[in-house]
Amino acid sequence: MTPRLRLVLLALALACIAPALPAVIGALPVFGSHPLPYGDIINRLAPAERHVTNMVSAVNFDYRGFDTLGEEMMLFVAVTGTAVLLRGTRGEAITALPATVPGRQIPPHSEALVLTARWFAPVTILFGIYVVLHATVTPGGGFQGGVIIASGLLLLYLGEGYAGWRRFMRNGPLDAIEGGGAAAYALAGFGPMLVGAQYLQNVLPLGSMKLLLSGGLMVVVNASVAFAVAGGFGILFVEFLEETRAEDPTQ
Amino acid sequence: MTLLLVLLFVLTAVAGTGVVLSRDPRRQVLAMSANGLILALLFFALQAPDVAYSELVVGTAALPVLYLVVLASIRAGRTRE
Repeated sequence: MTPRLRLVLLALALACIAPALPAVIGALPVFGSHPLPYGDIINRLAPAERHVTNMVSAVNFDYRGFDTLGEEMMLFVAVTGTAVLLRGTRGEAITALPATVPGRQIPPHSEALVLTARWFAPVTILFGIYVVLHATVTPGGGFQGGVIIASGLLLLYLGEGYAGWRRFMRNGPLDAIEGGGAAAYALAGFGPMLVGAQYLQNVLPLGSMKLLLSGGLMVVVNASVAFAVAGGFGILFVEFLEETRAEDPTQ
Repeated sequence: MTLLLVLLFVLTAVAGTGVVLSRDPRRQVLAMSANGLILALLFFALQAPDVAYSELVVGTAALPVLYLVVLASIRAGRTRE
């Protein structure tokens, strides 16, 4: 597509859209207003019905828990697809040698980077665990905590270098954490059916509000999301970073 | 709308434009990361701290790292049959 044709297309599109723009902008709700009743209803009902103080978790893991199962499976399938694609062409062998570009040296690890990463990685992972555990009490939850833990794993890579990082980022355990988390979510839904309730219905004791174990089934579902997300992002980092390794000459 | 929000909206627009206008892929990744950081601050100011967590980690750390790794992988030019 030539730039001239692109400009013509742009002009055509603008001619179609521009006349309607003022009307659409004028019809938008006022900034900060929330005209739909759903949020207010949840805010009123969830504390009494589910003994939680984080309404987002109540929606994600309970009222719309089935939707989250779908998202969970989306993540699982995306990570699995990435692993299958990359491992399929690369093979499962792990090489410690970094790939090099002719004429470019690999700079040595700076001590400041190592020190900073070693300070912040454990704190970040600990904070991620904190966010996971407080899903029903304070903002955050399994997904947020899981990705924070995963970013702590990235800091570990920066601090320890690839070889040291791969010593504990093993494929088997990571796959088990990711798959186990996704499976635990799906299976947690069947639990209530054993006592005659519906799929994912919250039949566990709800606990007292503002405590870590409040929310009944949400605690289980939230933990499985955290495992699936942390494991899934861990697999993604490992699979992508393995692509920057030199090919094993013995293969 | 407070001054803080106005400032963050303007910063978001500037950072987004920066992503579009940077042509070198490596710079674009860093611009995207900066845009993610500003978006996270904006979500936090709009009282959505859980969205801010996700955006902060995914948009500022995880996604740019994956892009950088892909760029490094292309540059290293692993040959495959």
